[in-house]
Amino acid sequence: MNYSRRQILQNVSAGFGYMAFSGISGLAGAQESASTNPLTPKAAHFPAKAKRVIFCCMQGGPSHVDTFDYKPQLTKDHGKSGKYGGKLLKSPFRFDPHGESGLQISDIFSNVAKHADDLCLIRSMQCDQPVHPGAMTQMHTGTTQFVRPSLGAWTLYGLGTENDSLPGFVSLSPPSGSARNYGNAFLPAIYGGTKVGRGGRAARFAQGGSGESVPDIKNPRLSDQQQRSQLNFIQQLNREKLRRDQTNPGVEGVIESYELAFRMQDAMPELMDTSNESAATLAMYGADGGPTENFGKQCLLARRFIEAGVRFVEVTHGNWDQHVRLTDDHRARAEACDLPIAGLLQDLKQRDLLKDTLVIWGGEFGRTPAAQGADGRNHNNKGYTTWMAGGGVKGGLSYGATDEHGYEAVENPCHIHDWHATILHLMGLDHEQLTYRYAGRDFRLTDVHGDVMTDIIA
Amino acid sequence: MNRFLTSLAIFLAVSATVSADPLTAEQSKFFETKIRPVLIKECYGCHSSKAGNARGGLQLDNQRSTHVGGDSGAAIVPGDLEQSLLFNAITHEDFVMPPKRKLSDSVIDDFRKWILMGAPDPRVTEIAEIQSTITDDDIAKSKSTFWAYQNPVLPTVPGVNSADWTRTPIDHFLLSELEKAEVSPNQDAQSYKVLRRLCFDLVGLPPSPEQIDYFQTKWSADPDAAIALVVDRLLDKPQFGERWGRHWLDVARYAESTGREVNLTYPHAWRYRDYVIDSFNEDKPFDRFVQEQIAGDLLPVNDDEQWTQNLIATGFLAIGTKNVNENNGRQFAADNVDEQIDTTTRVFLGTSVACARCHDHKFDAIPQTDYYALAGIFGSTRTYFGNPPSEFGSLSDAQTKRSSSLILLPIDDPSPFDKKLSKAEMDDMREQISEMGRQIGEARRNRNNPGKSGSALTSLVRLSSQRAKLSSQLAVVDDDGNPRSYCMGVQDSDSVADARVLVRGEIDELGQVIRRGFPQVLTNDQPSIPARKSGRLELARWIGSDQNTLTARVMVNRVWQHLMGQGIVTSTENFGVTGQSPSHPELLDYLAVRFVDSGWSVKTLIREIATSRAYRISSDFDESKFNFDPDNALLWRANPRRLDAEALRDAMLAVSGELVTDRPRGSAVAKAGYMRVRDGRLSDPREQIRQVTEKMRPEIRDVLRQRIGQGRGGMRPDTESGRRPGSSTGRQRPSFRERMGRSGRSGFGNRPSLAEATAARNSITKLINQRELDAEDATYRSVYLPIVRDEVPRSLDVFDFAESTMVVGTRESSNTPNQALYMMNNAFVIQQSDAFANRLARTNGSLNDKIEQAFVLTYGRPPTRGERSATARFVGSMGRSSESKKLALLCQSLFASAEFRYLD
Repeated sequence: MNYSRRQILQNVSAGFGYMAFSGISGLAGAQESASTNPLTPKAAHFPAKAKRVIFCCMQGGPSHVDTFDYKPQLTKDHGKSGKYGGKLLKSPFRFDPHGESGLQISDIFSNVAKHADDLCLIRSMQCDQPVHPGAMTQMHTGTTQFVRPSLGAWTLYGLGTENDSLPGFVSLSPPSGSARNYGNAFLPAIYGGTKVGRGGRAARFAQGGSGESVPDIKNPRLSDQQQRSQLNFIQQLNREKLRRDQTNPGVEGVIESYELAFRMQDAMPELMDTSNESAATLAMYGADGGPTENFGKQCLLARRFIEAGVRFVEVTHGNWDQHVRLTDDHRARAEACDLPIAGLLQDLKQRDLLKDTLVIWGGEFGRTPAAQGADGRNHNNKGYTTWMAGGGVKGGLSYGATDEHGYEAVENPCHIHDWHATILHLMGLDHEQLTYRYAGRDFRLTDVHGDVMTDIIA
Repeated sequence: MNRFLTSLAIFLAVSATVSADPLTAEQSKFFETKIRPVLIKECYGCHSSKAGNARGGLQLDNQRSTHVGGDSGAAIVPGDLEQSLLFNAITHEDFVMPPKRKLSDSVIDDFRKWILMGAPDPRVTEIAEIQSTITDDDIAKSKSTFWAYQNPVLPTVPGVNSADWTRTPIDHFLLSELEKAEVSPNQDAQSYKVLRRLCFDLVGLPPSPEQIDYFQTKWSADPDAAIALVVDRLLDKPQFGERWGRHWLDVARYAESTGREVNLTYPHAWRYRDYVIDSFNEDKPFDRFVQEQIAGDLLPVNDDEQWTQNLIATGFLAIGTKNVNENNGRQFAADNVDEQIDTTTRVFLGTSVACARCHDHKFDAIPQTDYYALAGIFGSTRTYFGNPPSEFGSLSDAQTKRSSSLILLPIDDPSPFDKKLSKAEMDDMREQISEMGRQIGEARRNRNNPGKSGSALTSLVRLSSQRAKLSSQLAVVDDDGNPRSYCMGVQDSDSVADARVLVRGEIDELGQVIRRGFPQVLTNDQPSIPARKSGRLELARWIGSDQNTLTARVMVNRVWQHLMGQGIVTSTENFGVTGQSPSHPELLDYLAVRFVDSGWSVKTLIREIATSRAYRISSDFDESKFNFDPDNALLWRANPRRLDAEALRDAMLAVSGELVTDRPRGSAVAKAGYMRVRDGRLSDPREQIRQVTEKMRPEIRDVLRQRIGQGRGGMRPDTESGRRPGSSTGRQRPSFRERMGRSGRSGFGNRPSLAEATAARNSITKLINQRELDAEDATYRSVYLPIVRDEVPRSLDVFDFAESTMVVGTRESSNTPNQALYMMNNAFVIQQSDAFANRLARTNGSLNDKIEQAFVLTYGRPPTRGERSATARFVGSMGRSSESKKLALLCQSLFASAEFRYLD
């Protein structure tokens, strides 16, 4: 059966060509379609533990010694000189053991702590720079300096996506000026993250019920039916051209893009509309009001996107940069995201999605054990904590360690390259094989670095 | 100067001995007991690599970086108290360290003794001698064997069997390969397609129906003459430079802001944009064009006008991405040099030298030391990218740690947005700046005051950003308030020096000094650079000439790509070992030699390619040819191409009749001035929100303020003088309350109704979601749209606009759902469809005539039979709708269709 896509399209009646074709593509035409649609699901390099990713990006550098890295010696040595100067500052928050695993977590994350036995704390993170832009860029793209494809784009490039009515990589309300963190760089544009919603001030206004936060998602003056009839006409013109040209991948791409866009117009607002979620669910995420409302909605949306088959979703929670007012502001930042993240974990679990959904939490770096001013901490890239849950990682595990005060990783250091290698591995991708040829060189997310942390894989 | 030299001599001598000889027991004891503990306790917190901190670029945890010093200069000059800035700082002369208190006299005395005894310091890091793994032999071999390093020589034009098919030597080169492969080139395309190609390729706009008719007539008589005539006419149009200038702006990574986290505008970047456009329109010899961009400031000039142009040209080196939030001045400088080396070598030479910043080039014969030979040249150059200092100095906001001035133009050439300030305005601004300075001082003092630190920091950030804005406005006028004209660019630095290799590219890991020069594999003659000169002039003259084997080849390849759809070398910025080999090496050399011989005339080159037979053949698919050569490497057909973002937008405007072809002077960014860009807008959203909310009832304002968590910051009404501190509700504005009350709301008491609150909220939401940088209402050509990094107008962004942080010689050509959404729903597309429909409505004739005309305007041809009946069905299906609505939907459909978006 060697029907080319073109022949199939020629043989179906006008108006339903694409629909008919996409029905067929699951069967005989699958191979053909894989060569034309770059987002068609692709086989992983080896069986994947995780099918999708939710990345909770904590912008600004949350302090590890005040959240997930318990340092009793820091408390004991409070007020003494730190080894790199400054006075050591004990955490103003209380740590307790949680779950059967007894992981020590600070009380500002008391809700997340309820899922301690699902968490894999990586307490030995390292990156190259203690400055925000560089470290943030490195966390997303592996490099501090250049414009390179982001983790999500690499994942989409490697695996394709499962819902053909939605983009495969979504960044929810990213902060402004962060485009490169979800960008495709030199990968084909189709692999870049689709920005949904706005960050910062605007996010606080975002209303659950509308899809307005996706640009151009709705025609201001046509009904769906009118637009479908217009689209049918456009597609007729396009197919007429394709018929004349016989083979034209560009025109085929245009035809596909209109169908996906038209489906997105329905799918996106529907996905963004959380009004059909129960009050209990909204409450579980804290999406029903109060300081957790905004991030709760983001987390809820993340679950909805993931459930709908989106491969990679990123949600951002900002303003962790407490050089001053650490006690008050760190508590407030945590309060806004603790319940939403806990709700996300719980919801994924009860929908049996956590087992193959990798949830990642982390900021671009941690903070110094020594004080800055009376109640603040500086940036620290030499040792900090991120965590993962679900998606094939061991729960209730503490991996790696910083020194007694939390200055630098001393046990099983995990550089951001190792972190990337491990995430790709969990997705079934070999970070050394996942390459893209650009400007004459094969590029990788991990450049020439990266070791998979096999110890954390269940 | 003399003293400087002496101290330099001492410095060198002492550091040499210190490095060579171990310290005496006495020196060692003195350092360990008196100096090291103080450094650790008082300095390392902010100035050591272990703490990850190098405030002011200064690290004091090893001897080498202590001697090199930070942004301000050497911290320790052994034996010289006056030159040792560390001593200056601890004695609180010009600098004040530690910041909050003075060290005891005895400690200061210890440092005095230590410096005078030659600052013996056991914390020696040896200066590394980088040994390249690339040997002289490797370089010589590469130079003598690799194709791109051989001089292009004019090849013999090959003979062909079907000589009557050919028109120019280009056709001989192509046809001889086709004949060898026994593949015949396609037939000529239909005349309207050829004309559409010519118009989009040369001026980026579609042909008008009249032009199509005219061309058809000429073509029937003599196709060669018809093409020659049209090519000449198009080359003379001012739109030519707009089209080809934009191609150049892609590789020059042109943008009007710094990018990165703190996205500061470049309000004067547009001068470089216009310079590029004018250069292409003038057909400025390309070698000259290259030289001006690298070293226009150093080239001899005849008059001030030329000097002005040359200075603007060096904007090329200044418009790159900059991380102005970088703490460390030396890191910032090193990154800037790197950006300049990378851009310069890839844009002009198609060679990536920046790979060698950290190690030898992995593939090309470019040792790490070659990078630092160039780094010496660019490191001896100052880059001007910011805003000139005002009389108050270089005041910047809290996020801007790296500032810079601009170059004052020899000839005043105000942009339409340069404002004249009255004396009263200036006085007022000066007063405000002084007052803010006072308040900033107060806030600084309160910063470490427990309980007050939070609010102090907030006001510090707000005040410093307001003060910076005023200062920047004051800075660009003369004493009488008249605007002065500035440009971005470069100048030779006062301190010219060779650079040291940096081990792994890290700024604190110094290696040997490398003489300034050019990459060895690309030249046989290293330049002789005068000691006091950067060497940029020599570099410009070498790159902008046929003294290297690459510049001409790289440029003709790009021109070929833009006309033929793919480069002879497909990796347009990589002519190195890992790049693609040329598909037609002799043709490439032919074009390169011809280009140089023509006096580097880009227009001549374009004319030669566009009048070839190969340019006009059809893009028709042919199964057997396709199976033989699927990539069309032999050019048996024309490559179908998607219109790029600018051509698509301009074509919609041209067809709708709305296009304004006059060049707008300046740009939206120039109008906004020097500022930080956020959320796609050039005005401060807090200011806008404040203006909107001021008109609301105070009760609603309060509710909204809570909603957006802005109680303290942006939404507070003006804190003008006279307001008593401690009033927590802000200024009462009874007049507003009265006005609102009059509209019948008084019955609700003070509580805002739900509808009222929602309406207020929606108006602010709209304000926030508005992206003025999308410039949806603009009708000028796309090349003049504001290009702010990470905030590119959506009309360009969705259609694979060149990523302005990178050198882009070949754009992506994707088909994404966002493009489809844009064509279906975007306000600009709808506006233009309506305008197009109005244009048709104004013509005489039946609905069918108008439909015919719509196809001719968009596709360059009347509809086919199938299209005609599909259109009839579509228009019929709209039943009772007005004719104008039917036409508007038809027009939008044509814009959205593949044929309009592609060039066959």
